[in-house]
Amino acid sequence: MRPAAIGWLDVPRGWLDSFGEVGRFGARVAGLVYSGRVGRYFGESVRQAGILILGSAIVIWAFVFILGLQCGVIGAYFNRSIGAPSLAGLFSAYCDLREGVPYAFGYILSAKVGTGIVAELGAMRISDEIDALEVMGIEPVAFLAATRLLGAWIAIPFLYLVGIGVAYFASYLAVVDQVGDVSSGGYLLIFWTYQDFVDVLFSLAKAMVMTTVIVLVGCYYGYTASGGPVGVGTATAKSMVVNIIMVHIIGMLGTFMFYGANPRAPIGG
Amino acid sequence: MAAQALARAAFPLRSFFEQTGSMMILTARTIAAAVRPPYPYGEELVGQFLFVLKLSWFPMTISTFALCLGAPGLQAAGVLSLFGNLDRLGGFFVVTAVRFIGPIVTAAVVAGVAGTAITADLGARKIREELDALQVLGVDPIKNLVVPRFIALMVITGLLDIFAVVFGMSAGIAAELLYHQPLGGFFATLFANALVTDLAASVAMCSMFGAIIAVVCCYKGMTASGGPAGVGRAVNQAVVIAFMGVFSFLYVFTTVLLATNPELQAIR
Repeated sequence: MRPAAIGWLDVPRGWLDSFGEVGRFGARVAGLVYSGRVGRYFGESVRQAGILILGSAIVIWAFVFILGLQCGVIGAYFNRSIGAPSLAGLFSAYCDLREGVPYAFGYILSAKVGTGIVAELGAMRISDEIDALEVMGIEPVAFLAATRLLGAWIAIPFLYLVGIGVAYFASYLAVVDQVGDVSSGGYLLIFWTYQDFVDVLFSLAKAMVMTTVIVLVGCYYGYTASGGPVGVGTATAKSMVVNIIMVHIIGMLGTFMFYGANPRAPIGG
Repeated sequence: MAAQALARAAFPLRSFFEQTGSMMILTARTIAAAVRPPYPYGEELVGQFLFVLKLSWFPMTISTFALCLGAPGLQAAGVLSLFGNLDRLGGFFVVTAVRFIGPIVTAAVVAGVAGTAITADLGARKIREELDALQVLGVDPIKNLVVPRFIALMVITGLLDIFAVVFGMSAGIAAELLYHQPLGGFFATLFANALVTDLAASVAMCSMFGAIIAVVCCYKGMTASGGPAGVGRAVNQAVVIAFMGVFSFLYVFTTVLLATNPELQAIR
């Protein structure tokens, strides 16, 4: 992607192009997982889940922690400005659980896991390892892409739920210890009042859809990389464009679906 | 044996400090090269500026609109409609769209879209030994490649933040229209709560994001190594480090800004 080689409409056009291609590839991979044909490589799936936990968990939680701090600070000062500092828990509960953590999770997952998959599979494609797999009679899409998707489905719910806890802790630190307008008990009362178990499930649903899309996009761009070492870098950069847009669209659609008709707040009758 | 185990455990920490130090040195050398007289990078600067703009405008538009329509738009409007004061959404949008969402979307899009492209570009040149060739020819890669990217990203990230704020506000308007509200109240509270301090701080913060992203991505691109996997891995590390750096900076900057500017906490 040299500066001269790109026009004003190349990015939207490329996004639309890849939308169909990734959709077809993703349907194939998801079909392999759902039909159970990935079960032949279940060990590899568990290994991928392990790599995900060992390699990415700390980074993901650190990023979510920073976002939790940010939510707390913004919320504490906003509630001070409207004259209700004791209601900082309302902003934190919404910002952490409903919106902030899914987006932060999507960002860092596409950065760490998505581009990681592209770099890994792309290098395999360039050095003809994927063709070698095919020659050996191992189905490459099932062995490389479907196992990664299944591995992500195994590991990500736990990583995400712990991430929510990390963000809660960070918001508590920011609101109660850093800004200090509200007491610990007052903050937690409002904080826990404005969320319930269903909200956690909605939040988890958003994160799982994002995870699926990010892993599939990563697998697609890695699997179809071409053009030598340069091609792998370009494919990695391209996957980020698609992922960033998809994360936001999924977040918005999720909010519309889950909260569009019903704000789910314990206010009024 | 014990010393070996200690060295192995301390390796990630050591490499963290080494890389941070190298990036700081790169920053200092970039700034020094930018102000020292011969300025050969004008054409490259314009090229990079347009390159980043062409890459970022579309993800920027979609992302800001979607995020602002979902998070502060629909969620806050839902709660406010229970109280019957949907006109207050304008004041809320100053807090969220200008202070929070504008900068984070700008950072995510510039780091994810433009930063990765820069790392891929520089990494490819490093792998093909073009950077070494430039040095042999007597062309300083920092002056001719890093400085234009550094300046271009600083300027354009600040400008894209205004773009983000505009699209965030239009998402707020869309949310009001979804709830069948007249827009007068939205604009009234918006202008009552909007301060120049907020917008100026937002733009300044985003310029610093641009600087961080440029240094991280150029550093990772120029130190890429290890064949085909190397460039991909460099892009991966660059975008993770850029995200962490930018968001840490965002938190520190927001805290300092809000704590030192009491006029942002007044009731209006």
